[in-house]
Amino acid sequence: MTMKIDFHIHSCLSPCAALEMSPRAIVAGAQAAGLDGIALTDHGCVENLPAFHKACSEANMPCLYGLEATSSEEVHTLCLFDQLEPALEFGRIIYNSIGEFPNDPDRFGQQPIVTVDGDVTGFADKLLFAATTISFFDLVPMALEAGALCIPSHIDRPYLGAISQLGFLPDLPYDAVEVVAQVPPSGTEKWPMVRFSDAHHPEDIGRCFTEVDAEAFTVPALREAFQRLLQK
Amino acid sequence: MKISELNELGFTCLQNQFEDADLVGGYTSDLLSDVMANLKEGQVLITIQAHKNTIAVASLSGAAAVIFCHGRSAAADVIEAAANEGIALFTTPNNQFDVTVKVSDALR
Repeated sequence: MTMKIDFHIHSCLSPCAALEMSPRAIVAGAQAAGLDGIALTDHGCVENLPAFHKACSEANMPCLYGLEATSSEEVHTLCLFDQLEPALEFGRIIYNSIGEFPNDPDRFGQQPIVTVDGDVTGFADKLLFAATTISFFDLVPMALEAGALCIPSHIDRPYLGAISQLGFLPDLPYDAVEVVAQVPPSGTEKWPMVRFSDAHHPEDIGRCFTEVDAEAFTVPALREAFQRLLQK
Repeated sequence: MKISELNELGFTCLQNQFEDADLVGGYTSDLLSDVMANLKEGQVLITIQAHKNTIAVASLSGAAAVIFCHGRSAAADVIEAAANEGIALFTTPNNQFDVTVKVSDALR
């Protein structure tokens, strides 16, 4: 089954995202964009995943539960689970390893934890875009061992991607690499290439997507579907 | 040395809405977590990280100015964020080493 997927979407929990990015608004945006599967990937925190799970279940929108982790070298990396509980467990390890910088909402933006209705139940205290103490070289195997799909974010962007932060893309067993430019950087051809929106505002959802042919909406089936992208 | 004197060192000002205070030193780094931990109030940040988070981190630490090296230009939202925070922004084709030496010499 061919699916249009966008696995890089931020909710209001990310300080840089719009406050109207509630779980239901994300699902509505995904439906409007004609997407067949989405993932929530807030910076360093998974506390909006339970509400996202509800919003997707209500709307029968296939979804993955994720986060965008920041390595100690400030490389952004998507870690995507097909079950809520392991995502929460992994995500809390990531949050706990973020440096102890408190968020300053006036400077960086609010970090609200919300219900499916968008009611605020609390705030993430630490500044979520701050780096963890986990090296990228440890983060990738950690995510894979926890059962996630691991996809380095925007590897070719001039900041906060693997190439800008490390100088090159290390040879690690990623499931895919997220690319921004039309042509992928040389030396990255061995990994499946995906494009996602990195949406921070409702109108951005699905502005970039990837078409995959997946037999099921599970980590193993999506991993196989990504591999098939290499044969195209 | 005043912030505005960075112009005279050959750096191009991108954002000039700032109070022209004395520079008390500088910090050179491309890792924002390191900047957050170590940059001191009134210093100039010398970096290639020309994005919006840089301004947020600079303002958190009380940076007086930011110099983007290697010809990195700043997007409109970066300039706007710096204007809101009153942080002077400069750009230069020079690399971080050369900029650091120039600023350091001028501060002596």
